[in-house]
Amino acid sequence: MLNVNNVQIVYDNVIEAVRDASLSVDEGQIVTLLGSNGAGKSTILKGISGVLYPEDGDIIGGTITLNGESLIGRKPDEIVRSGVVMVPEGRQLFEPLTVEENLMMGGITRSRSGATEALENVFDIFPRVKEKRSTIAGYLSGGEQQMVAIGRALMSSPRLLMLDEPSLGLAPQIIAEIFAAVSDLSKQNNVSVLLVEQNAELALSIASYAYIIENGRVVMDGPPDKLMDNEDVKEFYLGFSESGHRRNMRDVKHYKRRKRWLS
Amino acid sequence: MDYFILLTVSGIAIGVIYGLIGMGYALIFKATSVVNFAHGEIMMLISYMAFSIASSWTLPFWGLLLVCVFISAIVGLVIERVFIRPMLGQDVFSTVMVTIGLAVMIRAVVVLIWGADPLLLPTDIGDSGVEFGLVFLYTSQLYAIGLLAFCVLGMWVFLRFSRMGVAMRATAARETTALLMGINVTHVYAIAWAIAAVIAGISGVLLGTIYGLGPDLWTQGLRAFPAVILGGLDSVFGAAISGILIGVLENLSEGYIGQGLKEISGFLVILVVLMIRPYGLFGTPEIERV
Repeated sequence: MLNVNNVQIVYDNVIEAVRDASLSVDEGQIVTLLGSNGAGKSTILKGISGVLYPEDGDIIGGTITLNGESLIGRKPDEIVRSGVVMVPEGRQLFEPLTVEENLMMGGITRSRSGATEALENVFDIFPRVKEKRSTIAGYLSGGEQQMVAIGRALMSSPRLLMLDEPSLGLAPQIIAEIFAAVSDLSKQNNVSVLLVEQNAELALSIASYAYIIENGRVVMDGPPDKLMDNEDVKEFYLGFSESGHRRNMRDVKHYKRRKRWLS
Repeated sequence: MDYFILLTVSGIAIGVIYGLIGMGYALIFKATSVVNFAHGEIMMLISYMAFSIASSWTLPFWGLLLVCVFISAIVGLVIERVFIRPMLGQDVFSTVMVTIGLAVMIRAVVVLIWGADPLLLPTDIGDSGVEFGLVFLYTSQLYAIGLLAFCVLGMWVFLRFSRMGVAMRATAARETTALLMGINVTHVYAIAWAIAAVIAGISGVLLGTIYGLGPDLWTQGLRAFPAVILGGLDSVFGAAISGILIGVLENLSEGYIGQGLKEISGFLVILVVLMIRPYGLFGTPEIERV
């Protein structure tokens, strides 16, 4: 459905954030994009959403297509209308607005009646959000804010939902709840999900395909079980040594062990 | 006591105009984070246009106001399209500089077209008025009070209940997220400028009717500025209330203390208020949740 092909993104015309990144997401699939800080994960999502220009970013090569139609150069609101929506990193709610107003803004591209309908759907998925509908969004707890942020994105009835680090700064129990909701959503409503995460173990547990990105390049991809078997992934992303046990940090000699894919 | 009431009432009469002007500043700042230094000039431009219209056709006051509302909406949209939109994505400070340049241009254009002599805006309400006990108020001053109330109510309904109004608040809170949700931000900015220009137009017509026109009419925009700061730059309703406050304060300080104080009393008050509430009386302190 979504195809990103050899995309190259630069900031300020000189700083290359993403180079030759290719990935694809199929209908109803959960795909995860793993990588450390500054690897270019969020930049790829912003590129797909068309919101690079406020930060002086630009896509200078490659193609991004949704069902064969190019998304590059289209306005953010047109991209939302075509069914691709993003939940930004760190929730980014409209803090002074109430929860319901936040959600309604997610449905701005739809008719008023369509948005009201979608509102009920979101309340079904996250009952906790319904209780807080008239609370000022800035005063919610982190977990509730993340639910509102995901619900707000769902208001546009997307076919592809992009989540940028939904687990950031949340308690494990809340994370489990949110990931379960995302997983259900993908299964029941056939929504595709592109999930960017730092928490590799968690992301690999719900994804059906994964990409690992480093220094702006996709360095490895495959189904989760294949990646989880890889020694490098185990060591650098899952924190296990060869034997499958956590290693004493004193024994780790980073200089000896190189990431083989970087050479 | 009589003297006090007299000063207070005439203070309110001028204060409502400060309030109207202030609402325009606050709206543009809230939606686009730009302080529009040309606001007083836009108001002056429209009041001169009103003069041309009123001297070509004989219109009743409300008819004239309605025509001016339409014209000012167009003026607002044109200014946004020609001067402000090309600055999108640039530093806010650069946009503020553009508004200062625009202010100087409008002042020059007004003198160029209409000359520098004081003029009177001919309307059918003229010198009529109503006497309340010992206070006499012109009909135009009463209209000003009513129009401020109407604008405040209208803005409240707009920002609270209309989708465009909520989108404006959302854009003010987080622009990038607004883009991500599919809000057409350029559209929101254009609407904000149009509404601010309409409010400027209403205050311009009122000022022209009450005090007459002159090439220094724009200074009223500057006089209203303390009201916006006092109310909190991002609070449209705060500006309306603080406008009245500043108007009364100016009058009282002049009446009881001395002539020169009228010009500076507003600024003195904001100095004190800002020390206690840096975001103004009604401005929003940032929500911080730990």
